[in-house]
Formats: sequence, C-alpha cells, structure tokens
Amino acid sequence: MKLAVVVQRYGADIGGGAELHARYVAEHLARHAEVEVLTTCARDYVTWRNELAPGVEVINGVPVRRFAVRAPRDPQRFGRQSELVFEHPHSVNDELAWLDAEGPASRTLIRYIEAHQDAYDFLLFFSFRYYHAYHGCRAAAPRAVLVPTAERDPAVGVGLFGPIFRGVRALMYNSHEEQAMLQAVSGNQAVPGVVVGIGSEIPDAVDPGRFRQKYGLNGRFALYVGRIDRNKGCDELFAFFQAYVRQASSPLTLVLIGQSVLPVPSHPQIRHLGFLDDADKFDALAAADLLIMPSYYESLSMVTLEAWALGRPVLANAHCHVLKGQCLRSNAGLYYADYQEFAATLRALESDGALRTALGDRGRSFFGRHYAWPVIEGKYLDLLGQLAREDRQAGGRRPHAIAPLPGWFARRAATLPPAREVLTRATAREAAASRPAPAIPREAHA
Amino acid sequence: MAEFNIRADAVDVEQIMQQIRSRIRDKRGVDYTEEQIQAMAGVKLEQFLDPRGVRSDMVAQFRSSRPTEPVPTFTFDDTTLYDSHRTVVRWIRRLLRPLLKLFFNPNPLIQALHIQATLNADTVARRDLDALYYEVMHNLVLEMTRLSIDVKNLKMRVESLSSRLDFNERRARALESVVQYRSTPEADRPAVEAAPAEPRSSEPRGAEPRGAEPRAAEPRAIQPRPEAAAGAAPEGPGQRSRRRRRRRGRRGTGTGQPASEPGGAPGGAGPASADEGHEPAEAGYAAGEAEHESPSPRDVPEGPDGGTPDSGDREP
Repeated sequence: MKLAVVVQRYGADIGGGAELHARYVAEHLARHAEVEVLTTCARDYVTWRNELAPGVEVINGVPVRRFAVRAPRDPQRFGRQSELVFEHPHSVNDELAWLDAEGPASRTLIRYIEAHQDAYDFLLFFSFRYYHAYHGCRAAAPRAVLVPTAERDPAVGVGLFGPIFRGVRALMYNSHEEQAMLQAVSGNQAVPGVVVGIGSEIPDAVDPGRFRQKYGLNGRFALYVGRIDRNKGCDELFAFFQAYVRQASSPLTLVLIGQSVLPVPSHPQIRHLGFLDDADKFDALAAADLLIMPSYYESLSMVTLEAWALGRPVLANAHCHVLKGQCLRSNAGLYYADYQEFAATLRALESDGALRTALGDRGRSFFGRHYAWPVIEGKYLDLLGQLAREDRQAGGRRPHAIAPLPGWFARRAATLPPAREVLTRATAREAAASRPAPAIPREAHA
Repeated sequence: MAEFNIRADAVDVEQIMQQIRSRIRDKRGVDYTEEQIQAMAGVKLEQFLDPRGVRSDMVAQFRSSRPTEPVPTFTFDDTTLYDSHRTVVRWIRRLLRPLLKLFFNPNPLIQALHIQATLNADTVARRDLDALYYEVMHNLVLEMTRLSIDVKNLKMRVESLSSRLDFNERRARALESVVQYRSTPEADRPAVEAAPAEPRSSEPRGAEPRGAEPRAAEPRAIQPRPEAAAGAAPEGPGQRSRRRRRRRGRRGTGTGQPASEPGGAPGGAGPASADEGHEPAEAGYAAGEAEHESPSPRDVPEGPDGGTPDSGDREP
C-alpha cells in the first residue's frame, strides 16, 4: 500500500499539534506501508513564508516532497475575510477568498496531487481548514482520507467544508466530540469515520529528580505545557491560580513550559521555564503533581495524553468539550467551569494523594488502551484496508463524490449565513441530540 | 484526611465532580447567571425582597405603562397658517392676509396651536426621561436582587464561620489544657502519685488497664486529648459515676502498675479518639474547604458534656 500524508508544514523541528500529529502518523505508518509526505516549503504558520527548499528530502526515513507557497499570508486581508465569513452573511466566493487568504496557497502542490493521485492508494489530508486540505481533497476525492483536527471554532461552520466532510472517503477523528460536532455541522454520518487520536513518543525512563534539581523546584507543582497565549486560556489560568494561592494559602507552584505570547505575571509561585526539549518536558510531566489544561479549544491535546501516559492527573477546562469528554471517558482528570470549581478541584488534587494516584493510574491505563502506537496504527491500517477492500469489490475507484461548487452567479450571491451562526446552530442540534454514550466504554468499575 | 473515598480500581470522575459541585453549592449558596438574576428580578422578586416594600411586578408595570405610539410633533409659528410649498399660493395668501383678518381673528388659533406644539415637544422630552427613570429603576431592582442574594450567601458564610470559630475555640481550649498538663511537675511523676492530686479533668483516659497488659509510659501521652479539653467544662453525674467505677476497678485489679499511666492501653478510647481529634489536617482540601463548613463530629475533640462524643459507648 502506498500512502501520501498531505500537511501544511512538515519537519523534525516543527511543532504544532497537527504537524506533529502528521509526522508521528507518517513515521509509524511507514513501518507498514510506503509513505510519502507532501507539504509546503513553509515553516512559519503565521506567514507561510517559503523557508525550506522545494524538492524531496528524507526525514526520519520518510521521503518528504515540498512545494512552494504562492505568496505569504497577509494578516490584514485574512482578518477582514475572517470577519466577513464568520460574522456576516456572505457568498461562496467570499469563502474561497478567505481560504486563499488563510493559505498556505500552493497551486503546485494541488497540481501535483491532481497529476499523481493514481500513484497512491490513499492520501491522508491533515487539518481541514487549510488550503491544501480543501483543494487537495477536491483534487483526489476518491482517495482522500481526512484527518480534520477540528476545534470548536467558527471555521467549522464555513459552507465550503460541508461537501468536503460529506465527500471524502473516510475521516479519522481525534475525539468523539470532534466527530459529533462535524456530524452536526455537515450531516456526514454516512461517511466512514473512526475516532483514532494520536499516540506519543513516551520515553521508557523519565527522571523527575533531575528536572527538579535542574530547575530548583522543591515543592509540589502544577504544570502547564504549551503556548502561553490568551487563546489557550492562559490569562484565565493566571488569574485563577493567583486567586487560589491567595485564598487557600497554598504552597503549590505553577510551572509553565512553552513559548510565551502573553506576559507571565510576576508571582513567586509562578515559574516560566520557556521552551524545553522533549526530555525535559517528559521529566517535568513525571515530576509534576498534575497537569493543567486551561484551553477552551482543543482538538485532542497531546500533552494531556502524555501526562496520562506518565500517570499524572489532569485538570482541564470544562468549556472545552473534548478535554471534558476525555476526562470523563478516562476517569483520569477533573475539570472546571469557573473559579469556584477551579479552586475546589485544584484543592482536591493538591491535597488528596490517593485521588491523584488513582486518577493517574486510570490515565495510564486509558492511554495504554486507546493511544498506544500499536492501537493507533491498527486503527489506521484497519480503516485503510477496509476502504481498499471496498474498492476491490467495486471493481475500481468510486466516482468523484464531492459536490461541485455552484455556478458563476450562485457563487456571488451573499446567501450563506455567518459561520459562527452555523456552528452555534449545530452545537444546539448536537446538544438536543445529546448522545451521552461514548463509543469508548467507560472504565469498568470494580 | 482524604476528601474522597477513592479506590484505585474504581474512580468515577463524574461522581467526584458532582460532590465538588454540591459542596460548592453548600458552601457558597447558589451562583446565579446574569440571565437568572434578570428573570428573578422580573418574576420572582418576592422571593428575595419584602413584597410590602417593593412591587414585584414593577418592571412589568413600567413596561406596560409606556405608550407604544409615537407622539405627533410639529412646529407652529405665526406664519404657519398661511404657509404653502407652492410659492404662488404662498404669495397670494400673503397678499390676502389683511383681507382675511377682516373676516375673523386668527391670533388665538395661532397661539393655541403654538402652545400645543410646545406641549408636544415637552411630552417627547419627558418620555425620554421616563425611559431613563425606567432604566434606573430596573437597574435598582436588579441590584437589590443581587444584593439580596449576596446577603443570603453572606449570612450562610457567617453562620459557617461562627461554627468554625466555636470549633476552633474549643480546640484551642483543649490544646491549652494539654500544655498546662505538660508543664505541671506532677505530670512527670508516676501517675499513681499524681492521679489523686490532679484535677479530675486532667486524668488521662487511657489509664484504664486493659486486661493484664500494662504498658510503659509513652510520649504520645502528652498528645492533646479530649479529656484534657474538658477541664473547664462541668462534668455530668454519669461521668462521675463512671470515674468512680474505674477507680474501683483499678483497686480491684491490683497489678501494682501505675494505673493512670499516660498513654494507657492502646485500645483505650481516650488516646485513640484524641489522636483522631487532633490529627493534622493533612488533606488540605478538607481542611481548606472546611473554612465554610461545619466541623464534622470526627474533628470535634470533645462532646457537649466535655467528654468525647462517643466515650460513653466505649466504656467497658
């Protein structure tokens, strides 16, 4: 089987959830199939500037074919288009302009996919919201498998994506919440889909003592790993944590790992260590008493899974449906919706060692059952094998299944509702449908 | 002290969250959203405010009393009667105005209409003012509702804090009496000698012999104990009789060991309950959260009559 992984950026040193996700999947599937990565020359997700050379290179044993981006992103244009598409009635052309403005617009990549799609059995497109995924899925619809990595943001409600969600061969979801949301938005229940998620490269041995010694951390601490950004809920975390240590007279320290976009408050119990390598990160997770995930929007949160893999409990933002759902399914984390709950749950986790241990143990077993690499690889290979069998039974490829774009006049009619409104309506439908039973069975209670 | 009874093989996050949320509700009262406050202010005001003092349907009354139709406004001056958008007509009327005044006097009509126009303008201005009053009163009602809820919550907190204060005072008394007991020279002597001279309240509970297992004095005997805390509290007749029975029992045993050794038998109710009562609040959640909660019976070092709450049950 020959597979192509199509992603907006790719590289051993490129962070970002979806990009890392794509790299891990490519490297692990390469053990079972012939895998090639199709990507752009961009390194920076804000500008999409061409920083890497076009052509083929090999990264960790996987061939990577790069294509130049037509033009860097204009943030002002993208902001205007986003405002129009998310908040106001608009046309299909407006949405296409928004997609162009978002980038990374690489026509050469799309042309390559159009010309060479027969060389691959399937093409795995990562991150539905980018140019390469939309146009790539349209170019190679019969072989397109989408890994949407969708968060609950208005981009999900953009009208262009409905036909994509309904027209690809299959979808690999990160979580049950993501699946429910996309099905509510696009009505793609008929499309084969499986909740897979992503594993992580958990080291065999971690050394929490080394981390504590290296950074001079003696007492208990809660850990946050990720970009320190308002979009990640860090401002709320800072406010809540400072109020908590003041009111509860807690000796707990908040340790932050990651690049800071938001100013970190000057507080004796808040330590920002900056960006750390993986060894330090895993040692930090092992040394921490708990991990806090304050983000409102997450597609999966790999660091949460890594904390569980190392037996650490998680305190998550309940407004993030995915994190809350993961906590409930794993029985390995608590969640908070406001300050009162934040203080109470943090207090419980800080003071109750038995609770921490029990949650951590459940997290470790949850990770092992659902996110260990053999499980993830097996889910990918099973689904791809099933699609291949369907193709063989059908005697060839399916016809193009993605609905075409409307005509010249219809594309210019501002009849599409604001994307945010679409998402809100879908969320209401989703809540009304209220499917509480997740596909992953709850932990068996002894 | 662990807040949740957790078994490693059976953790239910949903249940834990329910417990946490119910404790938050118990502790803080109910937190209302802005929409809920609006609804309460508009509909269920009487639940929070004195219905004799404030009308619960005030918002509705204001809303219904506001006229919906716009007030007609116009400007009127002395030439309005003869005005026209056609220049020719306006010129002819102006030409014939002296002749018209020969037939009737238009001045009272002009004055009346002018006054009416002024009144209309005033009415429009007053309506804007009424809207402002409405907003102010509406906000006042909302604020009163919010304050009433705050008062209710604060009352709950004050009650909780006062019970906590009582608990702490009792605990402080217990600790003080233990310190006295420790510093008294009699405490260092053999208990056989000290016991008769000591006040009854400081007699260690663990002094009861349990069968024939006398034990040497242990440092843990100076742990604060509920009996010590009972120093200031009067004893009931039941306790006195129990004490007499214990003394008779000691004399009857005749082991020769100091009967009132501090520490006493390990199974004795006194030290065990004392240790429990003064267990450091290691589970900070329980300790911290207890700021607003009534102390549990387990935490209370002494019962209402000065003894441990369950001391009577444990007496042999």
